[in-house]
Amino acid sequence: MIFLIEYNRDEGRIVTLKQYPDDQRQAAEHARLEMELDLNRKRVFPEVVLLEATSEEALRRTHRRYFEDLKEIVKSSSGSGFR
Amino acid sequence: MTSRISKTQIDRLGARLRKGQVSESDLRLLEDYRRAFGEAYRSVVLTIRRQHGLEPTGRPSKSTSSVIEKLQRETIRLSQIQDIAGCRVVVTDVAEQERVVASLRALFPGASIVDRRKTPTYGYRAVHVIVEVNERLVEVQIRTTLQHLWAELSEKFSDVVDPTIKYGGGESEVRNLLLGRSELVSRLEKLEQEMLTPGRAVPEELKKELEGLKVDMTKSSADLKSIVGRLGRSRG
Repeated sequence: MIFLIEYNRDEGRIVTLKQYPDDQRQAAEHARLEMELDLNRKRVFPEVVLLEATSEEALRRTHRRYFEDLKEIVKSSSGSGFR
Repeated sequence: MTSRISKTQIDRLGARLRKGQVSESDLRLLEDYRRAFGEAYRSVVLTIRRQHGLEPTGRPSKSTSSVIEKLQRETIRLSQIQDIAGCRVVVTDVAEQERVVASLRALFPGASIVDRRKTPTYGYRAVHVIVEVNERLVEVQIRTTLQHLWAELSEKFSDVVDPTIKYGGGESEVRNLLLGRSELVSRLEKLEQEMLTPGRAVPEELKKELEGLKVDMTKSSADLKSIVGRLGRSRG
């Protein structure tokens, strides 16, 4: 699965999240470019990134910062460490 | 089209991006350059999946904002950036991390290894394996769960508090807390390795050290929560 994410760093939250099947890679890349061009015209510069994972759940594990706020990440971080 | 972009064109593009001048034609050229890594990226990810049974999360191309920030932060040329394409694997512990790194070495014999556990970057610890396929570099990040949680914490602080935190900047209280916590994770992982030695009883001094680490980690977590609470109040 391919994920196109528009992420507002200052606010620490996802603005848009679009999903594409693995065989729609070119469409995802095209959408990313069009999004960047559009945002550039508006002179706003969020982070726009394409990521690939087997599922959204897997993506949420390896890229928490897009999905969780600071408190949630601190909680995850504090709750682990000793097995 | 992508293979016809010369190194000179790429580095001139990088010079323009560094100045913050982002035109539509530059965005299109950057996209062409990033797509040139697609084949190498897919080859590396597929190899890891098939040969290792791991499920890396991939980032086929670095975001424009990250490229620009890197160019502005460092004296690097665009053509020298090693992580235009990459993927990430999160494993349970250091023992598993060592196994995966050894396996990747075998899968990609020419790969270079950057061990940031030995030389952390502002507290960031992980192992990066840089693989070259058809003259394109692909960065494979291998993190333990604890290293990963620390990195997510540092990234999130950088997102919402101060973008320089993950590069050693920002408020000293946050910076020192992150550095201290990274050191705690390092000590904990080393201790874990020692305690997991097969066929060996765990010495009393290691048990005591572990207890001490638990206390330190609990205090660090309380400090973290306190800082986050304060930041929340100051932001209304």
